[in-house]
Amino acid sequence: MASSIRPASRILARASRASPFSLESTTLNRTLARTTVNTQTAAACTLNNGTTTTTTIAHRAFSTSRAHLKKTPTMGQLKARNSTGPFSWKSALLFVLTGGGMIIYFRVEKERLERKRIAEMSKGVGKPKVGGPFTLKDLDGKEFTAEDLKGKYSFVYFGFTHCPDICPDELDKMAEIIDKVNEATGGEKIFLPVFITCDPVRDTPEVLREYLKEFHPGIIGLTGTYDQVRNVCKQYRVYFSTPRDIKPGEDYLVDHSIYFYLMDPDNDFVECIGRQDTPESATRTIMEHINDWKREGKPLRKD
Amino acid sequence: MGWLPWSSDSSSNAASDGGRIAPDRSSRQRCYEGRDLFFSCLDRNDILDAVKNDKEAQRKCGKELAQFETACSRAWVKYFKEKRVMEYNRDKTIERIKQEDAAKVEDLKSQGWTAR
Repeated sequence: MASSIRPASRILARASRASPFSLESTTLNRTLARTTVNTQTAAACTLNNGTTTTTTIAHRAFSTSRAHLKKTPTMGQLKARNSTGPFSWKSALLFVLTGGGMIIYFRVEKERLERKRIAEMSKGVGKPKVGGPFTLKDLDGKEFTAEDLKGKYSFVYFGFTHCPDICPDELDKMAEIIDKVNEATGGEKIFLPVFITCDPVRDTPEVLREYLKEFHPGIIGLTGTYDQVRNVCKQYRVYFSTPRDIKPGEDYLVDHSIYFYLMDPDNDFVECIGRQDTPESATRTIMEHINDWKREGKPLRKD
Repeated sequence: MGWLPWSSDSSSNAASDGGRIAPDRSSRQRCYEGRDLFFSCLDRNDILDAVKNDKEAQRKCGKELAQFETACSRAWVKYFKEKRVMEYNRDKTIERIKQEDAAKVEDLKSQGWTAR
Protein backbone atom coordinates (compact mmCIF):
# COMPACT_ATOMS: atom_id res chain seq x y z
CA MET A 1 0.00 0.00 0.00
CA ALA A 2 2.77 2.36 0.94
CA SER A 3 4.52 1.57 -2.31
CA SER A 4 1.57 2.77 -4.39
CA ILE A 5 1.22 6.11 -2.54
CA ARG A 6 4.86 6.96 -3.17
CA PRO A 7 4.70 6.99 -7.00
CA ALA A 8 1.54 9.12 -6.88
CA SER A 9 3.13 11.82 -4.79
CA ARG A 10 6.27 11.64 -6.90
CA ILE A 11 4.26 12.28 -10.06
CA LEU A 12 2.50 15.17 -8.36
CA ALA A 13 5.82 16.69 -7.41
CA ARG A 14 7.06 16.25 -10.97
CA ALA A 15 3.89 17.79 -12.36
CA SER A 16 4.18 20.96 -10.33
CA ARG A 17 7.87 21.21 -11.13
CA ALA A 18 7.18 20.75 -14.83
CA SER A 19 4.77 23.67 -14.91
CA PRO A 20 6.61 26.52 -16.71
CA PHE A 21 5.06 29.26 -14.61
CA SER A 22 5.22 29.20 -10.88
CA LEU A 23 1.78 28.96 -9.33
CA GLU A 24 0.64 31.20 -6.58
CA SER A 25 1.27 29.55 -3.27
CA THR A 26 -2.46 29.42 -2.37
CA THR A 27 -3.28 27.72 -5.66
CA LEU A 28 -0.48 25.32 -5.11
CA ASN A 29 -1.74 24.52 -1.63
CA ARG A 30 -5.25 23.96 -2.94
CA THR A 31 -3.92 21.66 -5.64
CA LEU A 32 -1.94 19.75 -3.08
CA ALA A 33 -4.96 19.39 -0.79
CA ARG A 34 -7.14 18.14 -3.61
CA THR A 35 -4.51 15.70 -4.77
CA THR A 36 -4.11 14.36 -1.26
CA VAL A 37 -7.80 13.44 -1.30
CA ASN A 38 -7.32 11.78 -4.67
CA THR A 39 -4.31 9.94 -3.38
CA GLN A 40 -6.39 8.56 -0.54
CA THR A 41 -9.05 7.38 -3.02
CA ALA A 42 -6.32 5.94 -5.16
CA ALA A 43 -4.87 4.15 -2.17
CA ALA A 44 -8.22 2.49 -1.64
CA CYS A 45 -8.40 1.43 -5.27
CA THR A 46 -4.86 0.11 -5.37
CA LEU A 47 -6.18 -3.13 -4.02
CA ASN A 48 -7.86 -3.75 -7.37
CA ASN A 49 -5.59 -2.13 -9.93
CA GLY A 50 -2.65 -0.02 -8.78
CA THR A 51 -1.33 1.03 -12.19
CA THR A 52 -4.52 2.44 -13.71
CA THR A 53 -5.41 4.56 -10.70
CA THR A 54 -1.96 6.06 -10.57
CA THR A 55 -2.24 7.10 -14.18
CA THR A 56 -5.59 8.78 -13.47
CA ILE A 57 -4.08 10.77 -10.63
CA ALA A 58 -1.19 11.78 -12.77
CA HIS A 59 -3.59 12.92 -15.45
CA ARG A 60 -5.63 14.90 -12.95
CA ALA A 61 -2.54 16.53 -11.56
CA PHE A 62 -1.55 17.65 -15.06
CA SER A 63 -4.98 18.93 -15.92
CA THR A 64 -5.06 21.02 -12.75
CA SER A 65 -1.86 22.79 -13.61
CA ARG A 66 -2.90 23.24 -17.24
CA ALA A 67 -6.03 25.04 -16.05
CA HIS A 68 -3.83 27.59 -14.29
CA LEU A 69 -1.54 27.88 -17.28
CA LYS A 70 -4.38 29.27 -19.37
CA LYS A 71 -4.77 32.30 -17.09
CA THR A 72 -1.16 33.54 -17.62
CA PRO A 73 -0.40 35.48 -20.87
CA THR A 74 0.40 33.39 -23.88
CA MET A 75 3.83 33.53 -25.51
CA GLY A 76 2.29 35.48 -28.38
CA GLN A 77 1.05 38.16 -26.06
CA LEU A 78 4.45 38.35 -24.36
CA LYS A 79 6.22 38.64 -27.67
CA ALA A 80 3.90 41.42 -28.78
CA ARG A 81 4.56 43.35 -25.61
CA ASN A 82 8.30 42.86 -25.94
CA SER A 83 8.45 44.04 -29.54
CA THR A 84 6.81 47.40 -28.81
CA GLY A 85 8.09 47.14 -25.27
CA PRO A 86 8.69 49.93 -22.76
CA PHE A 87 11.72 50.99 -24.82
CA SER A 88 11.46 53.56 -27.56
CA TRP A 89 13.58 56.53 -28.56
CA LYS A 90 11.21 58.77 -26.64
CA SER A 91 11.64 56.92 -23.41
CA ALA A 92 15.39 56.65 -23.99
CA LEU A 93 15.60 60.42 -24.45
CA LEU A 94 13.48 60.98 -21.36
CA PHE A 95 15.70 58.64 -19.42
CA VAL A 96 18.91 60.37 -20.49
CA LEU A 97 17.51 63.85 -19.87
CA THR A 98 16.12 62.95 -16.46
CA GLY A 99 19.33 61.18 -15.48
CA GLY A 100 21.52 64.03 -16.67
CA GLY A 101 19.30 66.56 -14.96
CA MET A 102 19.44 64.67 -11.71
CA ILE A 103 23.23 64.40 -11.83
CA ILE A 104 23.63 68.15 -12.43
CA TYR A 105 21.07 68.95 -9.75
CA PHE A 106 22.75 66.76 -7.16
CA ARG A 107 26.19 68.15 -7.93
CA VAL A 108 25.01 71.76 -7.63
CA GLU A 109 23.08 70.96 -4.49
CA LYS A 110 26.05 69.17 -2.96
CA GLU A 111 28.31 72.16 -3.57
CA ARG A 112 25.69 74.51 -2.16
CA LEU A 113 25.30 72.45 0.99
CA GLU A 114 29.07 72.32 1.40
CA ARG A 115 29.26 76.12 1.24
CA LYS A 116 26.32 76.37 3.59
CA ARG A 117 28.11 74.09 6.00
CA ILE A 118 31.18 76.36 5.92
CA ALA A 119 28.98 79.41 6.41
CA GLU A 120 27.02 77.78 9.24
CA MET A 121 30.18 76.63 10.97
CA SER A 122 30.74 80.06 12.49
CA LYS A 123 27.14 80.33 13.71
CA GLY A 124 27.05 77.24 15.85
CA VAL A 125 27.77 76.99 19.54
CA GLY A 126 31.32 76.21 20.55
CA LYS A 127 32.71 77.12 17.14
CA PRO A 128 35.54 79.60 16.64
CA LYS A 129 33.99 83.01 16.43
CA VAL A 130 35.60 85.53 14.12
CA GLY A 131 34.26 89.05 14.21
CA GLY A 132 32.12 90.81 16.75
CA PRO A 133 31.09 94.20 18.04
CA PHE A 134 33.54 97.06 17.61
CA THR A 135 33.55 100.83 17.48
CA LEU A 136 35.89 102.69 15.15
CA LYS A 137 35.73 105.84 13.07
CA ASP A 138 35.54 106.22 9.33
CA LEU A 139 37.51 108.63 7.19
CA ASP A 140 35.12 111.49 7.88
CA GLY A 141 35.69 110.99 11.59
CA LYS A 142 32.18 109.55 12.05
CA GLU A 143 31.62 106.62 14.37
CA PHE A 144 31.50 103.27 12.58
CA THR A 145 30.39 100.14 14.42
CA ALA A 146 29.83 96.48 13.58
CA GLU A 147 26.13 97.34 13.10
CA ASP A 148 27.06 99.35 10.01
CA LEU A 149 28.31 96.18 8.37
CA LYS A 150 25.03 94.32 8.82
CA GLY A 151 22.68 93.71 5.90
CA LYS A 152 25.53 93.48 3.40
CA TYR A 153 28.39 91.14 2.71
CA SER A 154 31.57 92.69 4.03
CA PHE A 155 35.12 91.96 3.02
CA VAL A 156 37.46 92.91 5.84
CA TYR A 157 41.21 93.39 5.60
CA PHE A 158 43.62 94.38 8.34
CA GLY A 159 46.81 96.20 7.48
CA PHE A 160 48.73 99.42 7.84
CA THR A 161 49.80 102.07 5.40
CA HIS A 162 53.52 101.76 6.11
CA CYS A 163 53.41 98.11 5.09
CA PRO A 164 56.34 97.30 2.77
CA ASP A 165 55.07 94.85 0.17
CA ILE A 166 52.36 92.43 1.22
CA CYS A 167 49.55 94.90 1.98
CA PRO A 168 49.96 96.86 -1.26
CA ASP A 169 49.86 93.61 -3.24
CA GLU A 170 46.80 92.43 -1.36
CA LEU A 171 45.07 95.79 -1.71
CA ASP A 172 45.63 95.72 -5.47
CA LYS A 173 44.00 92.31 -5.41
CA MET A 174 41.17 93.68 -3.27
CA ALA A 175 40.56 96.42 -5.84
CA GLU A 176 40.23 93.84 -8.58
CA ILE A 177 37.88 91.73 -6.47
CA ILE A 178 35.68 94.77 -5.72
CA ASP A 179 35.31 95.54 -9.42
CA LYS A 180 34.60 91.94 -10.30
CA VAL A 181 32.00 91.50 -7.54
CA ASN A 182 30.30 94.78 -8.42
CA GLU A 183 30.15 93.66 -12.01
CA ALA A 184 28.71 90.28 -11.01
CA THR A 185 26.05 91.79 -8.74
CA GLY A 186 25.13 94.37 -11.38
CA GLY A 187 26.11 97.31 -9.19
CA GLU A 188 23.90 96.33 -6.25
CA LYS A 189 25.37 97.92 -3.14
CA ILE A 190 25.52 94.74 -1.13
CA PHE A 191 29.30 94.36 -0.85
CA LEU A 192 31.36 96.43 1.60
CA PRO A 193 35.14 96.29 1.26
CA VAL A 194 36.70 97.40 4.55
CA PHE A 195 40.29 98.23 5.47
CA ILE A 196 40.98 98.37 9.20
CA THR A 197 44.34 99.74 10.22
CA CYS A 198 46.43 97.99 12.84
CA ASP A 199 48.55 101.10 13.24
CA PRO A 200 46.21 103.82 14.54
CA VAL A 201 49.01 106.15 15.65
CA ARG A 202 50.31 106.76 12.17
CA ASP A 203 47.19 105.89 10.19
CA THR A 204 44.84 108.78 10.82
CA PRO A 205 41.80 109.33 8.56
CA GLU A 206 43.75 111.74 6.37
CA VAL A 207 46.62 109.31 5.88
CA LEU A 208 44.24 106.43 5.19
CA ARG A 209 42.25 108.42 2.68
CA GLU A 210 45.36 109.32 0.69
CA TYR A 211 46.59 105.76 0.85
CA LEU A 212 43.38 103.92 -0.07
CA LYS A 213 42.59 106.36 -2.87
CA GLU A 214 45.43 104.79 -4.82
CA PHE A 215 43.83 101.37 -4.70
CA HIS A 216 40.05 101.73 -4.93
CA PRO A 217 37.68 104.58 -4.05
CA GLY A 218 35.14 102.08 -2.71
CA ILE A 219 37.26 100.83 0.16
CA ILE A 220 35.99 101.94 3.58
CA GLY A 221 38.96 102.89 5.73
CA LEU A 222 38.56 102.53 9.48
CA THR A 223 40.79 103.68 12.31
CA GLY A 224 40.36 104.51 15.97
CA THR A 225 42.14 104.82 19.26
CA TYR A 226 44.82 102.34 20.22
CA ASP A 227 42.39 100.44 22.46
CA GLN A 228 39.59 100.44 19.88
CA VAL A 229 41.93 98.97 17.27
CA ARG A 230 43.32 96.43 19.70
CA ASN A 231 39.72 95.39 20.48
CA VAL A 232 38.71 94.94 16.84
CA CYS A 233 41.87 92.94 16.15
CA LYS A 234 40.95 90.71 19.09
CA GLN A 235 37.41 90.24 17.77
CA TYR A 236 38.75 89.18 14.39
CA ARG A 237 41.52 87.03 15.87
CA VAL A 238 44.14 89.20 14.25
CA TYR A 239 47.59 89.18 15.77
CA PHE A 240 48.19 92.68 17.04
CA SER A 241 51.76 93.74 17.75
CA THR A 242 51.69 97.50 17.44
CA PRO A 243 53.81 99.09 20.16
CA ARG A 244 51.79 101.41 22.40
CA ASP A 245 54.33 104.10 23.14
CA ILE A 246 56.14 105.24 20.07
CA LYS A 247 58.41 108.24 20.01
CA PRO A 248 57.41 110.71 17.34
CA GLY A 249 59.19 109.95 14.12
CA GLU A 250 60.14 106.45 15.15
CA ASP A 251 60.06 103.95 12.33
CA TYR A 252 58.55 100.52 12.86
CA LEU A 253 56.63 97.73 11.18
CA VAL A 254 53.49 95.99 12.38
CA ASP A 255 52.82 92.30 12.22
CA HIS A 256 49.33 91.43 11.19
CA SER A 257 47.40 88.59 9.63
CA ILE A 258 47.18 88.69 5.87
CA TYR A 259 43.72 87.27 5.32
CA PHE A 260 40.60 88.83 3.95
CA TYR A 261 37.55 87.95 6.02
CA LEU A 262 34.28 87.48 4.20
CA MET A 263 31.41 88.28 6.59
CA ASP A 264 27.74 87.62 5.82
CA PRO A 265 24.88 90.16 6.35
CA ASP A 266 24.41 88.90 9.93
CA ASN A 267 28.06 89.90 10.36
CA ASP A 268 29.05 86.28 10.92
CA PHE A 269 32.32 85.05 9.52
CA VAL A 270 31.94 83.03 6.32
CA GLU A 271 35.32 82.38 4.78
CA CYS A 272 38.95 83.46 4.54
CA ILE A 273 40.51 84.65 1.33
CA GLY A 274 44.26 84.25 1.49
CA ARG A 275 47.44 84.98 -0.43
CA GLN A 276 46.94 81.90 -2.57
CA ASP A 277 43.64 83.15 -3.98
CA THR A 278 43.56 84.96 -7.29
CA PRO A 279 41.07 87.79 -7.85
CA GLU A 280 39.09 85.32 -9.97
CA SER A 281 38.94 82.54 -7.40
CA ALA A 282 38.14 85.01 -4.62
CA THR A 283 35.32 86.57 -6.65
CA ARG A 284 33.92 83.13 -7.40
CA THR A 285 33.87 82.22 -3.70
CA ILE A 286 32.24 85.52 -2.73
CA MET A 287 29.59 85.34 -5.46
CA GLU A 288 28.71 81.78 -4.52
CA HIS A 289 27.99 82.90 -0.97
CA ILE A 290 26.05 85.97 -2.09
CA ASN A 291 23.95 83.92 -4.49
CA ASP A 292 23.26 81.27 -1.85
CA TRP A 293 22.08 84.00 0.49
CA LYS A 294 19.78 85.41 -2.20
CA ARG A 295 18.45 81.99 -3.16
CA GLU A 296 17.42 81.38 0.41
CA GLY A 297 15.49 84.64 0.27
CA LYS A 298 17.33 86.24 3.19
CA PRO A 299 17.29 90.05 3.49
CA LEU A 300 19.97 92.32 2.04
CA ARG A 301 20.39 96.04 2.50
CA LYS A 302 20.86 97.85 -0.81
CA ASP A 303 21.20 101.47 0.30
CA MET B 1 68.52 113.49 -0.98
CA GLY B 2 65.64 115.76 -0.24
CA TRP B 3 63.39 114.46 -3.03
CA LEU B 4 62.15 111.66 -0.81
CA PRO B 5 61.05 113.53 2.27
CA TRP B 6 59.93 110.53 4.33
CA SER B 7 63.15 108.59 3.88
CA SER B 8 65.61 110.79 5.71
CA ASP B 9 63.71 112.92 8.17
CA SER B 10 60.21 112.26 9.39
CA SER B 11 59.06 115.74 10.31
CA SER B 12 57.94 116.62 6.79
CA ASN B 13 55.66 113.62 6.26
CA ALA B 14 53.32 114.41 9.12
CA ALA B 15 49.68 114.64 8.15
CA SER B 16 47.69 117.64 9.35
CA ASP B 17 45.64 115.42 11.69
CA GLY B 18 48.69 113.99 13.43
CA GLY B 19 49.21 110.89 11.32
CA ARG B 20 52.20 110.06 9.22
CA ILE B 21 51.85 109.86 5.49
CA ALA B 22 52.83 106.51 4.08
CA PRO B 23 54.83 105.97 0.91
CA ASP B 24 52.62 106.20 -2.14
CA ARG B 25 52.67 103.89 -5.12
CA SER B 26 55.53 105.61 -6.95
CA SER B 27 57.62 105.83 -3.77
CA ARG B 28 57.09 102.16 -3.18
CA GLN B 29 58.11 101.44 -6.73
CA ARG B 30 61.34 103.42 -6.30
CA CYS B 31 62.03 101.53 -3.09
CA TYR B 32 61.51 98.16 -4.81
CA GLU B 33 63.84 99.18 -7.62
CA GLY B 34 66.52 100.25 -5.14
CA ARG B 35 66.10 96.96 -3.33
CA ASP B 36 66.39 94.90 -6.51
CA LEU B 37 69.57 96.73 -7.57
CA PHE B 38 71.16 96.18 -4.16
CA PHE B 39 70.15 92.52 -4.07
CA SER B 40 71.50 91.78 -7.53
CA CYS B 41 74.80 93.30 -6.38
CA LEU B 42 74.71 91.00 -3.33
CA ASP B 43 74.02 88.06 -5.64
CA ARG B 44 77.00 88.95 -7.81
CA ASN B 45 79.24 89.09 -4.74
CA ASP B 46 77.79 85.98 -3.16
CA ILE B 47 76.49 87.74 -0.07
CA LEU B 48 73.28 86.40 1.43
CA ASP B 49 72.77 88.18 4.71
CA ALA B 50 73.33 91.91 4.39
CA VAL B 51 72.62 92.41 8.10
CA LYS B 52 75.20 89.93 9.35
CA ASN B 53 77.72 90.70 6.62
CA ASP B 54 77.07 94.41 6.74
CA LYS B 55 80.73 95.44 6.37
CA GLU B 56 81.27 93.29 3.33
CA ALA B 57 78.04 94.55 1.78
CA GLN B 58 79.08 98.14 2.47
CA ARG B 59 82.46 97.56 0.86
CA LYS B 60 81.27 95.73 -2.25
CA CYS B 61 77.82 97.26 -2.81
CA GLY B 62 78.19 100.58 -1.05
CA LYS B 63 76.70 102.63 -3.85
CA GLU B 64 73.66 100.35 -4.25
CA LEU B 65 73.10 100.21 -0.51
CA ALA B 66 73.17 103.98 -0.26
CA GLN B 67 70.57 104.21 -3.01
CA PHE B 68 68.46 101.52 -1.41
CA GLU B 69 68.55 103.30 1.95
CA THR B 70 67.59 106.56 0.34
CA ALA B 71 64.65 105.07 -1.51
CA CYS B 72 63.24 103.12 1.43
CA SER B 73 62.61 103.88 5.07
CA ARG B 74 64.91 102.28 7.63
CA ALA B 75 62.31 99.75 8.77
CA TRP B 76 61.72 98.66 5.20
CA VAL B 77 65.44 98.24 4.48
CA LYS B 78 65.77 96.01 7.52
CA TYR B 79 62.60 94.13 6.59
CA PHE B 80 63.74 93.42 3.04
CA LYS B 81 67.23 92.35 4.13
CA GLU B 82 65.74 89.87 6.62
CA LYS B 83 63.14 88.72 4.11
CA ARG B 84 65.91 87.90 1.63
CA VAL B 85 67.53 85.52 4.11
CA MET B 86 64.19 84.07 5.15
CA GLU B 87 63.14 83.40 1.56
CA TYR B 88 66.50 81.87 0.73
CA ASN B 89 66.22 79.47 3.64
CA ARG B 90 62.60 78.73 2.79
CA ASP B 91 63.45 77.89 -0.83
CA LYS B 92 66.39 75.77 0.28
CA THR B 93 64.15 73.86 2.69
CA ILE B 94 61.54 73.28 0.00
CA GLU B 95 64.26 72.11 -2.37
CA ARG B 96 65.66 69.74 0.25
CA ILE B 97 62.23 68.28 1.03
CA LYS B 98 61.59 67.76 -2.67
CA GLN B 99 64.89 65.94 -3.06
CA GLU B 100 64.21 63.81 -0.02
CA ASP B 101 60.79 63.00 -1.44
CA ALA B 102 62.27 62.03 -4.79
CA ALA B 103 64.89 59.86 -3.09
CA LYS B 104 62.20 58.19 -1.02
CA VAL B 105 60.12 57.48 -4.12
CA GLU B 106 63.16 56.01 -5.88
CA ASP B 107 63.86 53.89 -2.85
CA LEU B 108 60.30 52.60 -2.71
CA LYS B 109 60.23 51.95 -6.44
CA SER B 110 63.33 49.84 -6.18
CA GLN B 111 61.46 47.78 -3.63
CA GLY B 112 58.69 47.13 -6.12
CA TRP B 113 56.23 49.82 -5.09
CA THR B 114 54.36 51.64 -7.86
CA ALA B 115 52.47 54.88 -7.82
CA ARG B 116 48.76 54.49 -8.55
